[in-house]
Parts: sequence; C-alpha cells; structure tokens
Amino acid sequence: MGILRGINQKRIFRNILSNSRDRLYRMAYAWTHDPALADDLVQQTYFKALRNQRQLREIEAADAWLFRILANCLADHHRTRRELLSGDEIICIENRTPEHETRDEQIVQRVRHAVRSLPLAQCQVITLVDLEGFAYAAVSQILDIPVGTVMSRLSRGRLALRERLLDLRTQEVAESSPVMRRVK
Amino acid sequence: MKKDDLISEEQLNAFADGELDTEEESRIFELAENSPELDARLCQQRKLKEMVQHAFRNIPQGNKRSLQRRSNKRRLGFTIAAMLLLATGATVGWLTAQTMGTGQPGMPFAVAAQQEQSEAWLLHVSSSDPERMKLALRRADELVNGPGATEARRVEIVANEGGLDLLRSDTTPFSQEIRELARNDVLFFACSRAIERLEREGVDVQLLPEANTEYSALDRVVLRLQQGWEYVKI
Repeated sequence: MGILRGINQKRIFRNILSNSRDRLYRMAYAWTHDPALADDLVQQTYFKALRNQRQLREIEAADAWLFRILANCLADHHRTRRELLSGDEIICIENRTPEHETRDEQIVQRVRHAVRSLPLAQCQVITLVDLEGFAYAAVSQILDIPVGTVMSRLSRGRLALRERLLDLRTQEVAESSPVMRRVK
Repeated sequence: MKKDDLISEEQLNAFADGELDTEEESRIFELAENSPELDARLCQQRKLKEMVQHAFRNIPQGNKRSLQRRSNKRRLGFTIAAMLLLATGATVGWLTAQTMGTGQPGMPFAVAAQQEQSEAWLLHVSSSDPERMKLALRRADELVNGPGATEARRVEIVANEGGLDLLRSDTTPFSQEIRELARNDVLFFACSRAIERLEREGVDVQLLPEANTEYSALDRVVLRLQQGWEYVKI
C-alpha cells in the first residue's frame, strides 16, 4: 500500500514539475528581465527539485516548494556574481523606442520597467502574489521571511508602482504631444 | 480624520489579495460605499494587480527559437536515419509476423513496440568528472544488457554543463563505450545551450557522431517525465 502511494506521489510530483515550467519561467523572467538567465534559473530549479524530491513532505506544498527553490537559485546567482540585490542598480536597456511600439506594448513595457526598478525583495513579493496568486503565508515560506515582512514589502512595492504607473494615461497624453525639455 | 484613513495600506493590499476574513472584508465594503476616496483606492489597487498580470502574460522566450533551428539541422541526419530504421523495422516486423503466423496484421511496428515497452530511463550527466561519466555509461549498459533487460527497454543519456565533455569528440575518454551503447539503441543527447555557451567562449565544439542535440537538457527531461520515464541524475 505504502509503495503504491509512493509511486502515485512520485507520478503526481512529476506531473506538477512538468506542468510548472512556464510558470517558473515567467516568475524568473519577472525577477531578472533576462530571458537567458531566466531559462538557466528554471533549469537549475528543475534539477534541484528532481534531486531533492524526497525532501518534499506534502505533495500539496509542491508549488510553493518549487518557487522557493527558484528564489534560492536566484539568490545563489547573485551571491556568485556578487551583485547587489537592489533592483535599483539594474540598468534597463530597451532595444525598441516607444515610437515603434503599439499602445499595448508601451503599457506592457512601462509596467515591466516599473517592476524592474523595484528592489528585488519587493519585486519578488509582488510577482508571487500577483502573477501566481500565492497567499501571503505561502510567500512567507517561499522567501523565508515573516508574513509581516511580506505585507510591508508588498505595501512599499505597490506604493512605488502606483506612483509610477497610475498616472499612465496622463503621461501617455503628455508624451504624445511635443514638449520642450530642459537640457542641462 | 476621514473614515478611510483608518484603513492601512497593508489592509488595502490584503483586501485586494483576498487575504481578509469575511467580517473584515464586509467592513471595508461598507466603508467604501460611503467613501468615494476609499472606493477609488480599492479600485487603484485592483487595477495595479491587473496591470502587473497583463505585463507578464506574454514574455520573451530566451533564445530558444534560434537554437532550435540549429538543433533541427543537426538532428536532420538522425531523423532520416530513424525514419529509415523504422521503415525497415516495420517491414521486417510485418514479414516476420506473417512467416511466424503470430502477428497482428495491420498493427504498425512502432505501436506494437510501444505496447511491449515496460520501462524507459533517462540518465542525466552534468559533471565533467570521468568517474561520473563512467558511472552513467555503466548504468546504461546494465539497463540494456544486464539482468532483467528487455528489448523494449529504452535508455537515453542527456548531457549538459560539464557533462557535455562526455559527448565531445575532443574531450571524451569513452567514445568506444558510447559507440557500443549506441549499437544497443541507447540514445545520447547534448544540450545545445551548453554548446552555445562554450562556443561563445571560443571553444570549437565537435560532437561524437552518436550524439544528438536538444535545445536544453531540461527540454529532454520535461518531455520524458511527461511520458512517464524514470529519471536518474548521475
């Protein structure tokens, strides 16, 4: 009976793993804004998850466990590279100019840019809650921080996003009309 | 002090994220009904969430496409060989079945083989340590030639990172063993991303003729997990 349960659990786990790839990639991309790095992180997450699957005690917790591995892989990456964890230090390189983008692309790029410019800690909390719909308790487990910290990071991050994004329409109207800019 | 000022940012977020209990939610709904400012704050919070979701709905997929083209090119020879093999197998299988009188006419060879298939194994090598490589090859050999091996058993070895050395003609110490295993239908896959990485560093990567390429080791692993294969990290 135990063996059958074990086999079944293994099958369920592997199904979850197989079906999580796009979600993990989306999260990795939202945290790094680098498709190649996001790919690498997802690959590392997968192999770590497969190697350590016995550590997963409850199959119901598999989702949060996978995202926790992803967060650890990113932290390892930053440690290895000795990069600053602050998202403010990341330089944004845009290949396309706003003139070449459709209106929808402009909004998408602007929101991504705003998310990118948040400190990584705030970016992670916001994306885990908004993109994956994780409960605060799950985010607390994934990032290994207290629920109170989840709430305060979320609060600060959203305040910053609100300042940058919610006058979007006003900004767009302003940007579409010619303006004089002061050059220092 | 206005009523909605009593609602903290944290509470607003918890409301938007469905983290409040029913009682607390009702209280905020009630307050919002009488406070256009609070109502506007709640709407903004929801809008912000939707904007973030919208921004990451369609995201760039790395350099998968360009690498896939390369892989397909490399794989073309293998695909043609596999098709020829399959066609030959189908003919031989059909003729044998007719001669023996035990076959099921009309059943394609590949389908029959799949029905017989009892086990399939994917071995994954990511280390350049020759001992690890040897272990992977020995494990593959046991699976295809050891006790309990059946003709239907399928074995693949996928190599990435340092493990790529196993399948590079200039670095592998095991070309003879790989040739032998390939004769026993063990398939070998090299990770194209690992190859690209080496090539960016100026390394001219030449693979053994037995090696096929996959966009990434992960692609192979995911595919095989979905198909119910056993995965073993060496």
